[in-house]
Amino acid sequence: MQDARREGPTATRAAGRLMSLLDNQPQRLSELLAVAPDEADTPEPDMVLGITGPPGAGKSTLTNRLVAEFRKRYPDERIGVIAVDPSSPFTGGAVLGDRVRMMDHALDDGVFIRSLASRGHLGGLALGVRGVLRVMSVIGCKRVLIETVGVGQSEVEVARVADLVAIVFAPGMGDSVQLLKAGLMEAGDLFVVNKADRDGADALYHQILSTLSLRPVQAHTPHGGVSLLDQCQAHGGEPGHDEPGAQKTEVSAYHLMQPDVLLVSALESHGIEKLADALEYRAATFGQTWRSQRRQRIHDDIRDAILEEARDRLSTTLGTNGTVSEHVRHILAGGETVQSVAAKLIRRAADRQEPIT
Amino acid sequence: MNQVTHKARILIAKPGLDGHDRGAKYVAHILRDAGFEVIYTGIRRSPEQIVAAAVQEDVAAIGLSVLSGAHIELFGRVLELLKGRGASDIAVFGGGTIPPADVPRLEAMGVAAVFTPGSSAASIIEKLDKITAVGA
Repeated sequence: MQDARREGPTATRAAGRLMSLLDNQPQRLSELLAVAPDEADTPEPDMVLGITGPPGAGKSTLTNRLVAEFRKRYPDERIGVIAVDPSSPFTGGAVLGDRVRMMDHALDDGVFIRSLASRGHLGGLALGVRGVLRVMSVIGCKRVLIETVGVGQSEVEVARVADLVAIVFAPGMGDSVQLLKAGLMEAGDLFVVNKADRDGADALYHQILSTLSLRPVQAHTPHGGVSLLDQCQAHGGEPGHDEPGAQKTEVSAYHLMQPDVLLVSALESHGIEKLADALEYRAATFGQTWRSQRRQRIHDDIRDAILEEARDRLSTTLGTNGTVSEHVRHILAGGETVQSVAAKLIRRAADRQEPIT
Repeated sequence: MNQVTHKARILIAKPGLDGHDRGAKYVAHILRDAGFEVIYTGIRRSPEQIVAAAVQEDVAAIGLSVLSGAHIELFGRVLELLKGRGASDIAVFGGGTIPPADVPRLEAMGVAAVFTPGSSAASIIEKLDKITAVGA
């Protein structure tokens, strides 16, 4: 770990190795990453941005452009990219091709790119993402971009890892009903209509605007890009009002302010500056909130880990015989339901510390 | 925890100025089907780019497709750069239009395997299983 934090040619090597260890054995995170005795000494990124969207929307190309833009703005600050591509459910193999679009940065020591295979993990990410993110934080990446696998409609796990999520669309991928469906559209802080150089991009851009305007308006923070609120009645005043605490308002599960909708062409590098401005605005406004959100998420992760562990342990003790047939009769007779039987058995097991049978 | 063991990560790259990436893509494909995680970097990459990517990705092996005739120089450069980064344990293999007469020389330089045209998919997989098992 200490090697990875040093400067020089072997530091990257050490960081890369560390990521592999964590990708293969995520439970060793703590042992490998104990860097500083005090939380305050552990470096954290200013921004962890999730980039998601359907396959072929241009996520990698856009990521590549954003990296270039941030490197231009902050030549002294490192940036990390975690690019996830799918593993084959049949062979476990994978072709990770996101780097093809990012080779411009291969010789830039300020850019650390890591490709991950999803390894059967659903939700658009890979289990190893958290570990890689942690290593990137520790080696001083100020910004980390996480590019998900091409997603369909509900793979929004990235919203639980990143501070904010940009959803990338391209024209020609479905009508406005797709935009009404639950999941993906709800997870976006920014909507990027890519391939503005193509026909249909304008129409899609307006479709997204009109879909989003159906959402109730809670926060008021107009700025670069398009603000839906310009057309809405202003209440609450200046952006400053949305600092920590704003999340307590009704701005859905994930959102701190109204989403931005931006039209860009990653290919021709149009609109990238505006997108970067919008991202920076959010980082400046919500940086503190993000930090506390990250801490809250660690609680959630602990909870998930407990549930997973409990499930594993229970499933080994869960018998298949015993009184089950009697329960089946009760359920069929209508006196019990599957849920009521399950609750009863769990209670009994907890009381007597005995295996569930 | 998911106990499935994953096969090695392998970076496939195509140095040189020509755009004939069929061979590189074919190998990427058969490796994927054999369960490897293949990081494909595309065409026209310099040895510097390839090695930098391989180190960040911490792959077990780098596969180079060389059709330009400059295989001695390109393989030599990649091996040298890996050494400079403390990453000599990353195996280097390759294929393409490499005259059989040059194979022993490449192997002497430290190239782990050379697959000339006509190598069967099975023989490539078998060899790479061996190469990557050592470093794992």
